[in-house]
Amino acid sequence: MVLHTLNASPNSAAFRDCLAAIAPGDALLLLGDGVYCVRGATPACEAILRCGAQLYALDKDARAAGIIATPDTVTITDMTGFVALTARYPRQLAWY
Amino acid sequence: MSVTVTGKKTLVVIRHTPYGSSLARAALDAAMAMAAFEQAIDILFLGDGVLHLMPDQDSAAIGVNNVGKLLASLPLYDIDSVYVDAASAAKYRIATYDTPIAGQFLDQAQIQQLLSRNDHLLGF
Amino acid sequence: MLPADRFDKEGFLRDLDDWEPSVAQQIAAGEGIELTQAHWELLNLLRDYYAEFDSSPAMRALVKYCAVKLGKEKGRSIYLMSLFPGSPAKLGSKIAGLPKPENCL
Repeated sequence: MVLHTLNASPNSAAFRDCLAAIAPGDALLLLGDGVYCVRGATPACEAILRCGAQLYALDKDARAAGIIATPDTVTITDMTGFVALTARYPRQLAWY
Repeated sequence: MSVTVTGKKTLVVIRHTPYGSSLARAALDAAMAMAAFEQAIDILFLGDGVLHLMPDQDSAAIGVNNVGKLLASLPLYDIDSVYVDAASAAKYRIATYDTPIAGQFLDQAQIQQLLSRNDHLLGF
Repeated sequence: MLPADRFDKEGFLRDLDDWEPSVAQQIAAGEGIELTQAHWELLNLLRDYYAEFDSSPAMRALVKYCAVKLGKEKGRSIYLMSLFPGSPAKLGSKIAGLPKPENCL
């Protein structure tokens, strides 16, 4: 099980590569520009919801970007939550 | 494959182009430095990272090291397992027989398995 | 004699094209090494390595390259240490007119 962190907009190679690498049981935390990937009712968001990973978005980055309404399956988390995730998943891979 | 004190394996994931930024060189330096200290290192070229494997590279005129030549030295660092994202390689018309170092070409499912098999992942 | 300003502060050549055998002798003398045939064999090997891989080797790679090119007897760190004491990859590269190895921490 891998914790993927994505810090890149949906219009990036990082976004495509990351989605292709996610396996069922993985988790995906969106931070920085990655939060745009869960703007509701966008093609990127649809793709993210289908990827099979547990989804998280960093609260401050989402708020800054104006991402206020996210799908229910996306958990909004803070730094403490991020740290807890890194403890829960033995492997972590950063996409940017 | 070398055995480390801890027995842990690290996969270095290289996703960016070889000459577009300093990231790629940082990735290879990290991999080779860790290998020089007898850590077990594998490398995965993913997405645009597969461009490291282009044949006929000649970077002399832009004043940086030739990444193709550098890759050919990886076996001397006991980095023997090099993996390649086959779909991206196909997009750039990079063939298995034509790369500066022999790699194992993997499909999407095999890449997912590879990521979950290593103890540490290091993305560049 | 190549003037001091042709070397960086660690004694590596600033311009690799300045290298010639007499420069190797000059650098070696500064390190207290008199170059023998065994040294030259290794210096040539280092220059071959640089031409082939566009980089200076770390110790681990140098040992393995020596084993491949010169045979198992010479592909051992103790042999390299006897010729270039301390840090053979770094010292050998310096005398061979190559850049400092990147992975020599």
